[in-house]
Amino acid sequence: MNRSKSLGVALASVLLGGGALALAGFALASATPHQAALNCVPSQSAPNTCNLNLSTFPDSMAGEQGKDGGVHPDWVSYSNDNLVVPANTTVNVTIDQYDSGGSLNNAFFDQVMGTVGGTATIDGKTVSSVDPTNVGHTFTLRGIPGSGKTMFVSVPLPADSNTQSVNIGQGQYTKPVVVQFSFKTGAKGVYEWNCEFPCGSTREGQFGEAMSAYGYMSGTLTVN
Amino acid sequence: MSTSTNKQSLKGMLWTWAALTVIGVIIGLYAPAWIMPKSMSNNMHLTILTMVVFTVAAAPVAAGVYATALFALTRWTHKGNDVPSAGPAVRENAMVVTTWLVVSTLLTVFLLIWGLGALAVDNGSTGKNPLVVDVTGQQWVWSFSYPGTHVSSPDLYLPLNREVEFRVTALDVTHGFWIANMGVQVDANVGTITTIHTTPDKLGTFDIRCTQFCGLNHAFMVTEGHVLTAQQFTSWLASQPQRA
Amino acid sequence: MTTTLEQAKTAAIPQGGGLHRRLNMATAMIGGIVFASLFWYLAHHFLDATSRTYSDEVAGSLTIGWIVGFWLGIGAFVAPLRWLIGRDNTRADDLYLAGQGQGTSRYWKFTTDHKVVGVQYIIMTMVLLGAGGILAMAIRTELIVPGNHFVNQQVYNGFIAVHGMLMILALIVAVAGPWGNFVVPIMCGARDMAFPRLNALSLWTLVGAAGLLLTTLAVGSLTMGWVVLEPIADQAGVGMDFFAMAIIVFTVSTTVAGVNTICTILTMRTKGMTLARLPIFVWGAIIAAALGLYAFPYFSLVEAQTLMDRTFSTSFFVANAGGTGWLQANLFWLMGHPEVYVILLPAVAALFEIAAVMSRKPVFSYRSAVAGMTGLAGLSILVWAHHMFTTGWAPTLGGPFMLTTELISIPTGLFFLVLIGTLWRGNIWMKLPTIWMFGFIANFIIAGVTGIYLSDIPLDDQLHGTMFVTAHFHYVFVGSVLFGAVSALAFWYPKVTGRFLNEFMGRISFWLTFIGVQVTFLAMFASGLRGMPRRYSSYAFIFEHTNLMTTIGAYIIMAGMLVLLGAVITSWNKGEPAGPNPWHANSLEWMVPTPVPLENFEVLPVITEDPYNYGEELVRS
Repeated sequence: MNRSKSLGVALASVLLGGGALALAGFALASATPHQAALNCVPSQSAPNTCNLNLSTFPDSMAGEQGKDGGVHPDWVSYSNDNLVVPANTTVNVTIDQYDSGGSLNNAFFDQVMGTVGGTATIDGKTVSSVDPTNVGHTFTLRGIPGSGKTMFVSVPLPADSNTQSVNIGQGQYTKPVVVQFSFKTGAKGVYEWNCEFPCGSTREGQFGEAMSAYGYMSGTLTVN
Repeated sequence: MSTSTNKQSLKGMLWTWAALTVIGVIIGLYAPAWIMPKSMSNNMHLTILTMVVFTVAAAPVAAGVYATALFALTRWTHKGNDVPSAGPAVRENAMVVTTWLVVSTLLTVFLLIWGLGALAVDNGSTGKNPLVVDVTGQQWVWSFSYPGTHVSSPDLYLPLNREVEFRVTALDVTHGFWIANMGVQVDANVGTITTIHTTPDKLGTFDIRCTQFCGLNHAFMVTEGHVLTAQQFTSWLASQPQRA
Repeated sequence: MTTTLEQAKTAAIPQGGGLHRRLNMATAMIGGIVFASLFWYLAHHFLDATSRTYSDEVAGSLTIGWIVGFWLGIGAFVAPLRWLIGRDNTRADDLYLAGQGQGTSRYWKFTTDHKVVGVQYIIMTMVLLGAGGILAMAIRTELIVPGNHFVNQQVYNGFIAVHGMLMILALIVAVAGPWGNFVVPIMCGARDMAFPRLNALSLWTLVGAAGLLLTTLAVGSLTMGWVVLEPIADQAGVGMDFFAMAIIVFTVSTTVAGVNTICTILTMRTKGMTLARLPIFVWGAIIAAALGLYAFPYFSLVEAQTLMDRTFSTSFFVANAGGTGWLQANLFWLMGHPEVYVILLPAVAALFEIAAVMSRKPVFSYRSAVAGMTGLAGLSILVWAHHMFTTGWAPTLGGPFMLTTELISIPTGLFFLVLIGTLWRGNIWMKLPTIWMFGFIANFIIAGVTGIYLSDIPLDDQLHGTMFVTAHFHYVFVGSVLFGAVSALAFWYPKVTGRFLNEFMGRISFWLTFIGVQVTFLAMFASGLRGMPRRYSSYAFIFEHTNLMTTIGAYIIMAGMLVLLGAVITSWNKGEPAGPNPWHANSLEWMVPTPVPLENFEVLPVITEDPYNYGEELVRS
């Protein structure tokens, strides 16, 4: 082969190969499961305030994960993993906690941290910490590393010991524990949150399965 | 090829070597402090110093190889499309091999002595009333508690110029406790306590990053730390909620 | 008299072959899938579905089914079974098995001819490098900007594990596989390997293992580094079981291949081929094979224990139940460090060979070369704990392990001495193999110097677990081993195909890859020095610029590798014809015709001196 032909083959290799890779990448990015955003609803009564309602379930049938059947219907899950809130706003979070629970592996997380007033309201009672041996999940939100966007919010969600049953969709659950708290959002960015209660049963540290799979007990909080 | 032209040509190699060595030494002297995080502890001074010393020591060696390779590329390559004729059939040179072995052994011994000396300084505790901090790693959060004070915090606060003893453990999987500005790192292991010492010597904020892959949110297991004056530290400690 | 080349073209397909006439890669895949399904069904049917370890038991059974079926389907057991029932292979059967007269179809079968196995290893290496490279591009695409925008962190974590393992496998076979099989027996003056059927078995076992490894991507949930350190491995899903079984199967392949290489070199040398007259590459092959025989059983062991922890609820590594992750780390690195030299040594030895031929000089200080390689192999089994300086395990052993690790710079220094000494005042023929060899020299210095930083504990306390380490070993694997492997490919390609690898495309590829490596990994050093840990799916804004540079560099490497791939494919049938001895070298592989006939030599040669005398050419072209 002469030089110009070799150059042609070289260019063709790069274009064909690069094109194929780009297509594969595009297909992969679109195939990655992506939950619909849950937007914070602006409050009618207070300025610069919005309301965000979440639930935690003992399975993943009632939330976004199980909407289309879900791969692991028996895994615990939050109702949503893709939360969107405005910047510099007070977010009032209400979490309906339907799951049972047990002991935290680190009692540190029995505290309410980073919320407005350092407290949360559990079934109407204002507390700054809960019983570490009877926790269902936690909502733990952290800042963006190294960005100066510091934030640390962690609220324990006590185990649900109600017996009265309620129906959501096809599923039957017990009446939830209602946890309410508020936090202030700072700068724009994508923040990560997850649950710190070891609820991904079956593996060491109990952080396997639902805890190690994206979108069950973890997600993002987009501030924009 | 006559001997005189050989000598002349090797002179060119020597100049290349000297020039590359100088470049290497300059990089060694300035690059580490320029690229690496701001030093905030005695350990980090030592880390940066070691980086400088090793780079400067490596500069002439690397420059030697590069100079020879560049020289070979410019002077010893065969021109033309025919098959090159045989080069000098030198199979052994006892002098060269011996010198090479002696020099590389001496360099290694130097590295080792420096390393052992630095290790003794680096890992040693002065034993002067260190502040003990219990560090707990779990997926994907660090938490810190100060024994004897009933205070625990998601962020790390340290007093200036006082030795700190970190007692590090993990609850679920192995994590890596690393303060990039202080040059100290140790794994947090389940069921075991590992210990490291350092003395912060600059006020400011630093990041604690997990260096041992720990699952889904490994990349987000980052916590801020702060070095405060002794007075600020005492008042911070007093302002924290007390736990049983 | 007809030439052997004509004989090769006109040779009829032998009458024998028996069952092997019907078996090929397709039947192997079918066999694997059928048996995997069968084992899955049995496990599913008989095991307790409520057990905590149920899914792992099922996954483990399925993977065993896959490999058994794959072996049966490729015909690995046909000949031993025939021997067992007293109907041993005939000469015609053996000729069929060696691929005589079967054209390109023999490359997709259980073919025993060492040259066919060599070519199969070339294809295998390219497939593994390609798959690992695609994942590398995916990783770098994710890291263009902070945040998880391309894929989420779970998918990303799966990429880093499989990228690492695929690339390690690819590089373990990159030089030793193709050339250890294709040229080593000819260099020794042998008609084939000592155990031709084991040779085919090692290749096809590797294919089966690679199949399992690629499946982990599909079943997902292998979200950790390729080192799969415990206890994090215990949290992974069934992908971990596939991974563990893939490794166990892979170590079967390396063991079989290693034994075969050693036996061939020790017992199959022709008359007069004393150890001191062996081409230096053969020394590299045997030392690497011996080191592999020592190292890989640890890998098998550690993955077997992991699998037992997961399926039988043992607790070797489960701290909650009395085990320790440090045990896993020790066993893993007992394999993990020698493995680096199993990868490196064949590449270095090939470059010694290439340096001698291309500078038209004997290998300078042959003894230093052999001593350096042996010394490195010996030292490498005593340095494993330098991977564990920061784990907290046995801090008192830090000093001794720092000593053994730093001693490694002495044999490594000998490599530079031999390479430079060989080039010294040579008449250097600047062809494709030489160009990639210079690339190796430039990169290997950086790899070596940064390795010294990491061997020093106070520095390692800062750099361990950061991108600095990643950049360091990528300079070793990409900058050095890959450059050596491409050099070897360009050097022996004419022997395989009878044609040169396209020189011009090869040079384009070299410059793209060389520049790409510097941009990618120098920027990665900077990320690490600034404080970015490894295996991060997202990072702080202070690492933005260096990561963007790394990604740009990685794309340039990709372009370079694609051009190389284009050159390899288009030169195979259309390249410039090369003749049997294009480099005018003296070792035996260049003395036989191209394509090399079955069983290599019409008459076995008698050797009277080493192959490095370029003063009087022994060339027969």
